[in-house]
Amino acid sequence: MTNKIHILLVDDEASLREPLAEYLIKQGYKVQQASDASVARSLLNAYDFDIILLDIMMPGEDGLSLCRFVTDKTSIPVIFISAKTEETERIIGLELGADDYITKPFSPRELVARIKVILRRMEKGSAKQVDTAGGAYQFSGWTLKCDKRSLIDAEGVSVSLSTGEYHMLLALVSRAGKVLNRDQLLDITQGREAHAFDRAVDNQISRLRRKIEADPKNPEIIKTVWGGGYVLAGEVKSL
Amino acid sequence: MKHLWPKSLVGQLLLVVALMLLLAQGINSFLLYRGAQTQNLVEASTSAVSRIAFGLDRQDNDRSAQRRGTARTRRMGQIRYSSDSAVTADMPRLPELETRAGQAFANMGIGFSEIRVTSLSNLTPEMAHHVIGANRGQWRDNPINRSMGVRTSPDETTGFVIISAKQVDGPWVSIASAVRGRTPVLVRTLLLQTITIYLLMLIPLIIFGRYISRPLKSLTARARFFQPGETEMLEEQGPPDTRELIRAFNDMSGRVSRMINEKDVMLGAIGHDLRTPLAALRVRVESVEDDEDRERMIAGIEDIDNMLDDILSLARLGRSSEQTDIVDIRSLIETVVDEFTDLGNDVRYQRGEKQIANIRETLVRRALRNLIGNATLYGEVADISVEKSGDMLMINVDDDGPGIPDEKIEAMFEPFLRGEASRNRATGGSGLGLTLARAIAREHGGDIILKNRENGGLRATLSLPVG
Repeated sequence: MTNKIHILLVDDEASLREPLAEYLIKQGYKVQQASDASVARSLLNAYDFDIILLDIMMPGEDGLSLCRFVTDKTSIPVIFISAKTEETERIIGLELGADDYITKPFSPRELVARIKVILRRMEKGSAKQVDTAGGAYQFSGWTLKCDKRSLIDAEGVSVSLSTGEYHMLLALVSRAGKVLNRDQLLDITQGREAHAFDRAVDNQISRLRRKIEADPKNPEIIKTVWGGGYVLAGEVKSL
Repeated sequence: MKHLWPKSLVGQLLLVVALMLLLAQGINSFLLYRGAQTQNLVEASTSAVSRIAFGLDRQDNDRSAQRRGTARTRRMGQIRYSSDSAVTADMPRLPELETRAGQAFANMGIGFSEIRVTSLSNLTPEMAHHVIGANRGQWRDNPINRSMGVRTSPDETTGFVIISAKQVDGPWVSIASAVRGRTPVLVRTLLLQTITIYLLMLIPLIIFGRYISRPLKSLTARARFFQPGETEMLEEQGPPDTRELIRAFNDMSGRVSRMINEKDVMLGAIGHDLRTPLAALRVRVESVEDDEDRERMIAGIEDIDNMLDDILSLARLGRSSEQTDIVDIRSLIETVVDEFTDLGNDVRYQRGEKQIANIRETLVRRALRNLIGNATLYGEVADISVEKSGDMLMINVDDDGPGIPDEKIEAMFEPFLRGEASRNRATGGSGLGLTLARAIAREHGGDIILKNRENGGLRATLSLPVG
């Protein structure tokens, strides 16, 4: 059982860390626990981890600083765990290169789902995906900003997206011109909705079209490909 | 009358000072007038006294002339000799002038057994020939009944003083003396004086008033728009009292800001410290074997988490670090509506014209979520529509529930009060939903209004200023 996925769990709260570690072990992961950043650093030196779960608020060196260290020195993906929901903090976390962010209290199943999504991405070599570091894409008069997860139209008006829609759009935009079938799209985006299924993809696509297409019935931007897939048409500029 | 009363401090001060000055001026003029009148009477009586003395002297001369046979025709002069006094009992006496006259006569060595002095505005016919000092005819044609002192030129006859004295063993000698009106021209003087005083006093007062009221004004503005956490102190200016007030205000706003900061820190700590054990609980719940039990526990934890969220958002409101964006309201509504339809609720919205507003999106989403949540809780179907009214955008959330009795509508915004009288958790959220939604709307310059619909059900309207 050496190819078990190895998780580093960093949280100063033993009351959360221990049951979470237990749960993850039960789910078939190998887990190392660290109660603060210095323990985490020594563990990082000792083992090869596949993913790090990191609490932001810790006494001593906090999670943000540790995250900076990890993303600078390694390519291990990081998921932030935090009690804070303030928008800005999420942005800071993502800007520092964390791959995802989950707020307490969270469903452990969802955490596992997100871990899977990230690891799948890593496997496919698309690493660090695209959702990082304040990037932006321009397509057909729209601007998709990754730092704020916002979609801006040609007049500078922000169009509100659900988290699922954002990920769906990002998946399409960052792979413009490439046909993605439902499975692929689920692969890339799933994790938010633990029980997502095929229909959910179609649903989200139609919602996206309603928001961005001039005529949702005759889509010009997100096109349906015969045989069951979607593609983002038109030119995309990565900023 | 009420609206003539000035509202500002300076205005009221000025009005009071002006009225008081006017009153003082009135009293002053009255006293002046009285003084001048007395002076005129004294002058008239002095002249009468000397005339009587002169007359008596001449009578003596006449008598000796008579004896010497050089009698001239006795001019029936201005002195009246009679057996009774020209000052009859019904006339008002002037004791002060009587004393003066007595002294004057005594000084001249003339003794009278009784002296009577009166002043009249008009003469009796029998005294008419015994007048000195009046312009011919004037006193007759021009009785002084004309308003005293108001329009008289300085030298007009304003009345008469009659002195009547009883010779020790002889008849009464009487003479009337015209009182020359040298009373000041009151109205004009009063006006001139008042204007002068006003100019001298009120202009500095206005300037001083401004000096007082300007800092008060800025204090008022600051107090009205006070934002906790504002570090900029209000400049201490104006007179010491006002400076003291401003200093006290600055201290107070500092205390308020500190208190609110402490509250924020505390709430943050509570949020953090409660969420961690809650998260631990949430993880442990996964090991509960019974599906139904587990789902209930999860729902309970989610409830607590949502309530915590509401409380913290309400507490942090107004100090949000989220910046505003110009947002297409249609997509915002759709995003929230989709959340509900995904959960199987019947929430309807028909995308219409593009409407934009400058808002903090996550907050407004939250407010709308709370409204739609209420609608789906109390009714079966929620219908969302948008209309524009003036420079406000109205997002209406209609439900087909039972509505709320009109008199209870305002109470719905009270924290921790829910439509159901019971606080049964199964029936609703934290009880902060509407409170928070309204607070969010108001922070954006809008509001939330609840209204029973004519065809039944409730309409909750979230209004936002158009961006």
